[in-house]
Amino acid sequence: MDLSVLLQILVWGLYAGCIYILLAIGLNLIFGVMKVVNFAHGELLMLGAYAAFWIYTLSGINPYLIIALAMILLGIIGVFIERLCFRPIMGTGKLNEIFLSLGLIYLFQNLAALLWTTGSRSIHSPYSDVSVSIGSIRLPLDYIIIIVFTILFLIAFQLFMKRTTLGRAMRATSQNREAAALMGIHVERMDMLSFALGSALAAAAGSLWLISGQIANPYMGSIPAIKAFAVIIIGGLGSIPGAIVAGLTLGIAENVLPLFIQSFVGLFGVSMSFTAWKDTIAFFILIIVLVIRPTGIFGEKGE
Amino acid sequence: MMNKKYGILFAVLVFSALIAGCVQPPEGEVKEIKIGIVAPLTGGASTTGTDMWQSAVLAAEEINARGGVNVSGVDMQITLVKGDTETSREGGVKAVTKLITEDKVDLLIGGFSSGITYADQVVASEHKVPFIITGASSPIITRRTDIDTSYFFHHCPTTDDYPEATLLFVNDVVKPMIYERFNFSADRPLRLGVLYQDSKYGEGVYEGIKKAIEKHNLGIEIVSAEKFKMSETDFRTALTVIKESKPDVVYPAAFLNEQTLIVAQGRKDVGLDTIYLSVECNDDPDYYTGVERWGEYSIQESRFSPYAIPSGPIHDAVGKFKEDFKNKWGTSPSMMGASTYEGVYVAAEAIKNAGTLDKEKVRASLAELAMPQIIEVMQNGVITFSPDYRESKFELYMEQLRWDETAGETRPEIVWPESIKETDFVLPDWYESGSS
Repeated sequence: MDLSVLLQILVWGLYAGCIYILLAIGLNLIFGVMKVVNFAHGELLMLGAYAAFWIYTLSGINPYLIIALAMILLGIIGVFIERLCFRPIMGTGKLNEIFLSLGLIYLFQNLAALLWTTGSRSIHSPYSDVSVSIGSIRLPLDYIIIIVFTILFLIAFQLFMKRTTLGRAMRATSQNREAAALMGIHVERMDMLSFALGSALAAAAGSLWLISGQIANPYMGSIPAIKAFAVIIIGGLGSIPGAIVAGLTLGIAENVLPLFIQSFVGLFGVSMSFTAWKDTIAFFILIIVLVIRPTGIFGEKGE
Repeated sequence: MMNKKYGILFAVLVFSALIAGCVQPPEGEVKEIKIGIVAPLTGGASTTGTDMWQSAVLAAEEINARGGVNVSGVDMQITLVKGDTETSREGGVKAVTKLITEDKVDLLIGGFSSGITYADQVVASEHKVPFIITGASSPIITRRTDIDTSYFFHHCPTTDDYPEATLLFVNDVVKPMIYERFNFSADRPLRLGVLYQDSKYGEGVYEGIKKAIEKHNLGIEIVSAEKFKMSETDFRTALTVIKESKPDVVYPAAFLNEQTLIVAQGRKDVGLDTIYLSVECNDDPDYYTGVERWGEYSIQESRFSPYAIPSGPIHDAVGKFKEDFKNKWGTSPSMMGASTYEGVYVAAEAIKNAGTLDKEKVRASLAELAMPQIIEVMQNGVITFSPDYRESKFELYMEQLRWDETAGETRPEIVWPESIKETDFVLPDWYESGSS
């Protein structure tokens, strides 16, 4: 395989990894603080994408500027979901939480289909025609912005979690809920905040997904959500650095490995396309990681 | 006292019998034709399914307004019954079972998605109910041998038909223009990249491409063939691989959302500035909106377009259908809607010719049907089903997308075949050919 092709595909993997990271960190945050597995997290990405679409359509302003608005909107929706759906059933059993979140998937998908039809919606980025060429590698400006945005966001997120009182309180709740409550931390408020922040991160992922040229429809959240689950399991449940490493690994692996396999079987005279195996590869990695290290790369025992 | 009781009971029984006699039609006389419309009214393909239903309603209302269908001297009204497949195989089986066993329909029309139809047609076959399929493109639907397919009539082009027409156009029109601009020698085969969905539909188109090249001995070489999963949204890696194979033309076998992203990502992100071909199911208003300027100069194979009407005998009928549909439903009809609309007329004609609702006789009537084309151009201007696999044959045409400043989107213009074309194919300035 030509090196320039490989490098080009690495760029696509890096971009996909950024989206997975944003989605997975939100999912991880909710799980870390509330110990709730929200299967409807992909639908928050979908709602975030629709929020970005409508704000963009109604205002016409630069789509990158509306990401913050979409995040705030989804943060508020997240608060409502936590207060109205998850809080009443907290502690009543994992099965209730699982079925509640599964129910939310259908609710949000059908609601979106009812409100906005199943037709596709897209955003036209003002930079969609601009790309930077480094040798034979083509870097669309939108992708550079998305990668930079994700890096800046991760730095800000880490600073928030480590340097602010609220962030420390969330981490404390995540580490030991009872002890945190005894220390005077309002753990229910932390639940609400983590759900709001997780939803806002999903909105960021959805908005960037849309700005990068993808299309929004009511069912768009399913596949990214499955990938985000794979990311947090590979990285270790509740681990933010784990989600970052696993997100990048997954994004790059699912783009590059099919070509390696294709080249490898080509050595034996077999001509076969493996680009449809992206998801298979993601879950193959998941199985390998779980077999070797059941807690995930950065996971700790007992989580 | 007892006598009084028996008297009342007798009176009630007589009255009931009289009432029953009044409301029940004489035995054997049926006043309606019940047609089940099998379509995805909910789920991922609900936009298409709704369009199929709305088109069928329009056709049924038109027929009923003219007095209905004359069946052996009795004018019968058409009643449509919804069969929602929920865009899933299980939903399809459930819908067809309900239509046949509970609603007791006389005939079925619709069936969007080959995978769903492949599953639900088993039920129709077991009950021997005629099924006019207007939305599933895999030829296997009427060619499979594990069930009795004699009750299935395919009224939409198959995945063998699309590539044949498209590649004949590429060979006749696109190839000479590329070769002239780049001074390629005539014996150089045209380099074709294929990107197809990993499904019966996608594999069917890919097989159809290979068959068409072989059948017509076309000077076309497949230089890359990449697969993707249904509903995939990221095609950059596959397109990068295809670009590396240096194709002259790229043929995606994809659904609307996928095709939109393939063309946009191919041109915008990967820089694969080539002529993209597109399968007919993407000739939809959503495609023109979604693909934006990236779709300019790409080729859309079609048989019913939202924005172009082929000249010739059906021109006025197409215009009227579009206008009536818009007046009734407020939107534009899609291709699947057009064939479903025709499906209702085909069913009405077959039942009229059969002179009965007996399913076997209706099946035989469909097999012998020959009626004038309605709103889609048919080969020889006639709707008829082939004797071998009961497929009707369409006259497919090619459109090239051109930017329309007024609409702010691209719009299609018919460039092939010669008999109905509106304008000539244009090879854009930005076009890059494959290797020499």
